[in-house]
Amino acid sequence: MNMKLVAKILGKVGLFGFLGFVGTFSLYMFNGENKLIYYVIRPLLNKHYDHQVRDKRIV
Amino acid sequence: MKDLKHLIFFENLLQDAQNELVQQAVNEGKRALGYNCYYVPEVLLNLGDCFSTRLRAPRCTSPDVATYYMTGRTCPYVRSILERAIEGGYNHLSAVFGSESCAAMERMEEQLYLLKPIKRDDFFVTIIDPPLKGDQTNLDYYKVQLKKHVLGAMERAWGMDVSDEVMRAAIEKFNKLCRVITEIGNLRKLPNPPITGYEFHVIMLVSEVCPHDLILPYLEETLEELKTRKPDPEFPFRARVVLAGSEVDDPEFTKLIEMCGAMVVADRYCFGSLPSREEIEIRDGESAFDAIARHYLHWNQCARFMDGMKIDQRHDKLAELVKEYHADGIIYENMKFCEFWSYEKVLASHIMIEENGIPCATIEKEYALGSVGQLRTRFQAFVESLEIKKINAEGGV
Amino acid sequence: MGKIIDLIDDKLKVFDPIYRAENGLGGQRDRYYDRTGVAKYREWRGVKDTLYDYERWLINVVSMVKMVASAPIPIMKGFWEYRWMGSYLGTFMFIDRLFEGYRDQELRVAHLQMHAIVVNLTKRIAYILSHDRRLGASMEKSSSLLPMDETLPAFFTTGFPDLVPMPLQTLPEFIICDIDQHIEPYYIDVAESFGLPADVCSRCAAETGVALDDAFPLAGKAMIATNMPCNASEATSMFQRRRIGMPDYVASMSMIHNDEDTALPFDRKIMEEVIAFVEEQYDTKWNWKAFFKAAKNFNEQNTYELEKWDYMKTGYTAEVGISETLYKLFEWQSVNGTDPYFNKVDRKVMKILRKCYEKKYEPFGGKTRHRAFLWGPSAVYYTDFPTWCQNAWGLAIVLNMDSTMGFNMISTDDKDKALDDLALLTTKACMRHMAVGGWDNINAVWEWAHNFNCDMVLMNDNIACKGMLGVHSIMEEQARDLGFHFIFIEHDLEDSRTVSRQNMRDCVNQYMSIVLGEEPLDPTIITFDDSEAF
Repeated sequence: MNMKLVAKILGKVGLFGFLGFVGTFSLYMFNGENKLIYYVIRPLLNKHYDHQVRDKRIV
Repeated sequence: MKDLKHLIFFENLLQDAQNELVQQAVNEGKRALGYNCYYVPEVLLNLGDCFSTRLRAPRCTSPDVATYYMTGRTCPYVRSILERAIEGGYNHLSAVFGSESCAAMERMEEQLYLLKPIKRDDFFVTIIDPPLKGDQTNLDYYKVQLKKHVLGAMERAWGMDVSDEVMRAAIEKFNKLCRVITEIGNLRKLPNPPITGYEFHVIMLVSEVCPHDLILPYLEETLEELKTRKPDPEFPFRARVVLAGSEVDDPEFTKLIEMCGAMVVADRYCFGSLPSREEIEIRDGESAFDAIARHYLHWNQCARFMDGMKIDQRHDKLAELVKEYHADGIIYENMKFCEFWSYEKVLASHIMIEENGIPCATIEKEYALGSVGQLRTRFQAFVESLEIKKINAEGGV
Repeated sequence: MGKIIDLIDDKLKVFDPIYRAENGLGGQRDRYYDRTGVAKYREWRGVKDTLYDYERWLINVVSMVKMVASAPIPIMKGFWEYRWMGSYLGTFMFIDRLFEGYRDQELRVAHLQMHAIVVNLTKRIAYILSHDRRLGASMEKSSSLLPMDETLPAFFTTGFPDLVPMPLQTLPEFIICDIDQHIEPYYIDVAESFGLPADVCSRCAAETGVALDDAFPLAGKAMIATNMPCNASEATSMFQRRRIGMPDYVASMSMIHNDEDTALPFDRKIMEEVIAFVEEQYDTKWNWKAFFKAAKNFNEQNTYELEKWDYMKTGYTAEVGISETLYKLFEWQSVNGTDPYFNKVDRKVMKILRKCYEKKYEPFGGKTRHRAFLWGPSAVYYTDFPTWCQNAWGLAIVLNMDSTMGFNMISTDDKDKALDDLALLTTKACMRHMAVGGWDNINAVWEWAHNFNCDMVLMNDNIACKGMLGVHSIMEEQARDLGFHFIFIEHDLEDSRTVSRQNMRDCVNQYMSIVLGEEPLDPTIITFDDSEAF
C-alpha cells in the first residue's frame, strides 16, 4: 500500500517535473521570455516613461 | 582716447613667444621657464636667474602636426602649444614646469619630453600633481608636489638656491609687479574708465610672458600715463561684462567683445588677473614657501576644484566681481573640448542667473579666433538683452 | 546514453551556428530577426552544452524571481519610477549575446561567473530599492546605505559591517548601459538639454543626466564623491552633490598616482579622512576585525587572479574574452571584497582552469588566430564586443586594461600597513590604473601584451576621452616600432548613436580583411544591423 502511494506520488512528481522541463525548455529554446519582453513589455513601459513628468532641473 | 605710448610695443611683444625682451633676458644668461597654468606658482619660476614665461602660441591657426599626435578632439590650446614647440617656437626654454591640471594639458606636457620638439640638450619637463580641494590635507600635498617637482627640479638641474631668503626676494619683486597691474586693473571699476578691456588684456599678457624685470619699467610708465589719461567724454560702451572661463590668451577676443558694445571690466579666466595679481602676504612665523603655497591654493579659482568650499568660492567670487566692477553681466567662455569648463559654465550660469540674478551668456571658442560672425551675433544679442534689462529696471519702455 | 547524445548531436548539428559557419551554411546571425537583436531561437550548442546553458538560464531566472519576491512592492515601484529599471529586463538577451559561440569549459566558467554577478546584482537592486526614500522607505531604514561614487573601490566599506555600500551610478548608468545600448542616450540628452556640450565624456554626461532627471535612488545619510578616474568624473560630481543634497566628502585621490613616494602618503590621508567622515556622519566606528577578515577574502581573490593570468599567458585556459573582463570588472570594482560568494565562485573556477591547463584545453575549438590585448576604456554599450571578435575573426581578447586594476595584497594584521595597502588599492581602480597617472601607465600595454603572448593590441578609442586622445598617434607609432598589429576601435563609451556597434565592428573588419587579408570565421556576423537591439 505504502509502496503504491509512494510510486503514485513519485509518478505525479515525475510527470510534473517532465512537463515543467518541457515547458521551461521550450520557453528557453524558443526565446519566449525575450520576445515577450522586447515586443510587449518594453514598449508598454517606454510609453509610460515617455509620458512621465520628471523633476528636471539643476537645483 | 589718446593711444597708450607703449601699446604697440606691447602688442608686438605678444606676436612671438621668443619676443624681444625674452630674447634679451636669454642673451643675458637667464633661464626662460615655460609654464601653462596658475597651479604652478609664477613667483617660484622667478627665483635667482630664472624668469617665467607663460606659454602662448600666437597666430597658430592650424596645429596640424599636433592634431596628428593628439587628435582634433582635444583642447586647441594644448595642441597649439605642442604645434609651436614642434615648429621651433620654444627653443629658448630651459624647462617647462607643467601641471596635471587637466588630462589634455598633461598629455601635451608629456609629448614635450617624448617627442623632444625643443632642441636643447638640457631642456626638461617637470609636472606637478595639483590639489583638487582647498583643505589642509590638499595644501600639504601641494607643498610636497611643489617641493619635489618645482624647487627640487631647479635644485637638481641647476643647483639653484631655493632658500627662504631667495624666495622672499622673489615675492617682493613679484608683489611690486602685482601692485602695478592691480592698480591699472582697478581703473576698470570707474564709471568711465581710462582704459579698455582690450588694453588691459594686452598689459596683463605682457606681464605674464615677458621677464618681470624688463617689462616692469614699461608697465610703471603706463600706469603713470593712465592716471592722467582723459577718457572719452561719455562711456563708449553699451554694457559692462565680466569675462570668465578657461584659456583666453588672445586679446583680439576681448577686442571682439568690446566691438560688440560690451566693455570687459574684469578678467576672471586663465591668463587673467583675477586671480593672479594678488600680492603674496607672508604671515608672522610663516616661511616664504608656505606663504606661496597657501596663497596660490587660496586664490585659485580653477573649475577643477571639486570640494564644496571651492565650488562655492568661485561662484561667490564671481558675483563679488560683478558688484565690484559694476558689471551688467557675465560672459562665460570655454575652450572647445575643455571638460572642466563645459560642466562649470552650465552650473555656474544657472547659479548666477537663478540665484544671483546676474545675466549670463555662454560661448565656446577655438584657440585662434574663428567663427567671428557667430560670436559677434551672440555678443551683440547679449549686449542688447543687457540694455533691455537696464531699461526695464529704470522703468522705461 | 552517450550514444543517444551523439546521435541527437549529429541530427541537430545543422542548427549549430558554428557548424553552419564552418560548412558555408550560414552562421550565428541566421537565428536573429533583423535590427532588433531578438533571436528566433536560442543557440543550439549540442545536447550537453545546450542543457547546461538551459540549466544556468533557469538558475538565473530563479535569482530574478527571488529578487522580486524579496521586495515585490519596491521592485514594482522601481520599474514604474525609473526608466533605467525597465532596461534590466534585457538581462537575458544580454547574457545570450555575451556567451554566443561559447562551448564546453569556457561556457561553464562564463556561467559560473555570470551567476555570481546576477546574484549580487539582484540582491543589490532589491536592497537599494527597498531602502529608497523616493519609493517610500523611511530615513531610518535608508540610513544603512552608504552612497558613494562607483569609481571609488568599495573595499574600505568592509570596515563598516553595519553599512551597505551603494555605488551611486552603477544601477542607473553603468551596468545598465552594458545591457541596453539605448538607455543612456536618454540621460545624455537630458544633460545636453541644459547646455552641456556634446563633446564631453558620454559616461559622465549620462551621470549628470541621471542627476538632472532626478533618477538616482535616494538612500543614505551622506555620500562619498571622488575625482576618479578623470576630469569629467570630477566635474559631474558638482551636479550630483547639489541634486542629491546630502553632506558629501570628496575623496580626491592623487592623479599622478605612480609617484608613490609623494602620492601614497597623500592617498592614505584621504582614505583616513573618508573613514572619519563616515564615522561622523553615520555615528559608527571603524571595525578592524571585519576589515581584516574581508582583506583575507580580497587577497584570496587577487591570488587567484594572478594565477589565472599565468594560465591566460599560455592559451590553455577556459577563461576568455568577456567572461574574464566583465567578471573581473564587477568583482573588483563593484563588489571589491564585500561579498564572499565571489570567493566561492573563484575556487570552483580555479579547479576548472587548473584541469584545463593540465589537459592543454584550447577554448573555442582551438580556432583562435590572434591573441589580442584590449587597452583603453571599453565601450559600455558593446560589452559583447570581445565575443564578436572571437566568433567573427578568431581574435581572442586575452586580457584587457581594466583587468589590470590594483592587485596588491592587503595586510591582514598590521593596521599601519593595511591603510597604505588600502590607499594603493584605491588609486589603482577602474579606468584610472592605466588611463590616468602618466604616460608610463598607458605605455605599459606593450609589456603587458608581450607578457601575455599577444600579437595584437586593440586600442579602445573613446572619441571623448581627452586623456587617451592625447597620446593617440604616439601609441600607433609605438605599435609600428614594436611590431604589434594595432587597431583603433572608435567608440563613444555610452552613446551608441555617435559610433554604432557596426562602426566598431568595421574597425576590425577593415583591418582583418584589408591589412591581414583574412577570411572571417562566420561571414554572417561581419556586417549586420543591431541598431534596435538592447
